[in-house]
Amino acid sequence: MINRLLPLLFLLLPAPTLATVFIPADFAELVTGCRAIVHGRVVDVRAQTTGDRRSIETLVTLTAVEHFKGNLGSTVTFKVPGGQIGRYRRVLVGAPVFERGDEVIVFLNATSPSIPHLYGLSQGVFRIARDTGGRDVVTPPPVMAQGIGAERVVRGDPARRPLAVDEFGRKVRDILERVR
Amino acid sequence: MTHTVRQHAVVTLALLLALPEPARAYLKFSVQTLRAGTVTLRWDASRPVRYFVTNRGVPGVSASDFQAAVARAFDTWEAVPTASIRFQFAGFTNAEPFEDDDLSVLGFQNKPELERVLGATGFVVDVLTGEIVEADIFFNSAFDWSTASAGQPGRFDVQSTALHEIGHFLGLGHSALGETEVRGVGRRVLASGAVMFPISFGPGNTADRELQPDDIAGVSDLYPEAGFRNATGAARGQVTRGGRPLFGAHVVAFNPATRALIGGFSANTNGEFQIAGLTPGPHVIRVEPLDDADVDSFFSGEDAVDVDFQVTYFERLFIAPRGGVGGRFVVEVRPK
Repeated sequence: MINRLLPLLFLLLPAPTLATVFIPADFAELVTGCRAIVHGRVVDVRAQTTGDRRSIETLVTLTAVEHFKGNLGSTVTFKVPGGQIGRYRRVLVGAPVFERGDEVIVFLNATSPSIPHLYGLSQGVFRIARDTGGRDVVTPPPVMAQGIGAERVVRGDPARRPLAVDEFGRKVRDILERVR
Repeated sequence: MTHTVRQHAVVTLALLLALPEPARAYLKFSVQTLRAGTVTLRWDASRPVRYFVTNRGVPGVSASDFQAAVARAFDTWEAVPTASIRFQFAGFTNAEPFEDDDLSVLGFQNKPELERVLGATGFVVDVLTGEIVEADIFFNSAFDWSTASAGQPGRFDVQSTALHEIGHFLGLGHSALGETEVRGVGRRVLASGAVMFPISFGPGNTADRELQPDDIAGVSDLYPEAGFRNATGAARGQVTRGGRPLFGAHVVAFNPATRALIGGFSANTNGEFQIAGLTPGPHVIRVEPLDDADVDSFFSGEDAVDVDFQVTYFERLFIAPRGGVGGRFVVEVRPK
């Protein structure tokens, strides 16, 4: 009995308020807003001083497996804020951290002629992991509307599962086709 | 201490990552150090933390308006009765946020490479000791801002953003207490249960100028006032799937009497969590996946976050003790 009542108790939630930092993007906005979408494996991670030598940034280099949007070549380098040089580490809260060997799909933007950067910081990163069935999947699953009206994003929704990489690519291309 | 980026290059040490601290409520930052092992990132609370404000405003917000709004946000954190941390405005400066200059600076900056980011906090950490050398907060001048007391349509509220970023400045990570909706194109926040929820609702709103129970528990756990630990309790346990530890689940304790929500995470490879700062008494424990969030804004580490399971409730009410930690329990989640 108590089992059935526990979820009901959660309905007694406090009144909603707001939060800050990111302007949230749904998947279609991410796809259309960036200049390139690259599936690749991280082969190099290198911290360096910024151009004005006042701070630290990290250059991440991927060997591209596939471009879902744009084409930046077989090797793609982008920058993320922060990194470590010597005994000091600069950390930007919310900025993704990459390691050699990571397999990722990244959404990149650039203000030419600069080095590309992640579109929307951590929103522009999808990681590829092996699921319990041994399948390589993209996580987290993209958040996108199924129809025209407003749809509440329900955490734990069984319909929203990590996608296989080719399914993910199809969704990207579908969106690009629609806006063409 | 003065250091420059150039000096940083002199000593090369092994890469040490700043990681969310495992097995505690909310997310707190920790850093692996060479001398002190893994330490929680926090200020020395025995003296006020000094901060500077840039002497430049943006259209609609003067430097003094900005400083006053930021000071109100610092005051809000300082006023938490169960926490012990103080701040001191050290003056206006020409220095910029995110310069490695040993100064903690808050100010507007134009950062085109951080589109869709209203503001962000960065630290410089000495990885020998874990000491915070400086912490900076930038507000993205690509957006329109306001310090109006009731907010201003079309403009983001400086004080609300400052309150969130100062939470990071103190050492708190993001909270997952919130929900969103999508429309044909676009996504917006419907509700949140913490100022530390990472995404914005929209311009013109000032409701996020007040801390919520999750924020208060977090800062009190980091900088506890005498008596905090004796007056509150903690829940600890493990999240599993198929009997195996599950990394990255969001674990929420809900107190039906106070309606307070306090969240934590199974943030280590054993799937363990600990949620501190609970009001003594019964709580409902809910475990949910971060399948609607960019997990990189919560965790930075090698371990893959498992998001492929359904919301699951602990089958009993958890009774938080007064002072101390309740009995350990396990929540086995259901796969999707």
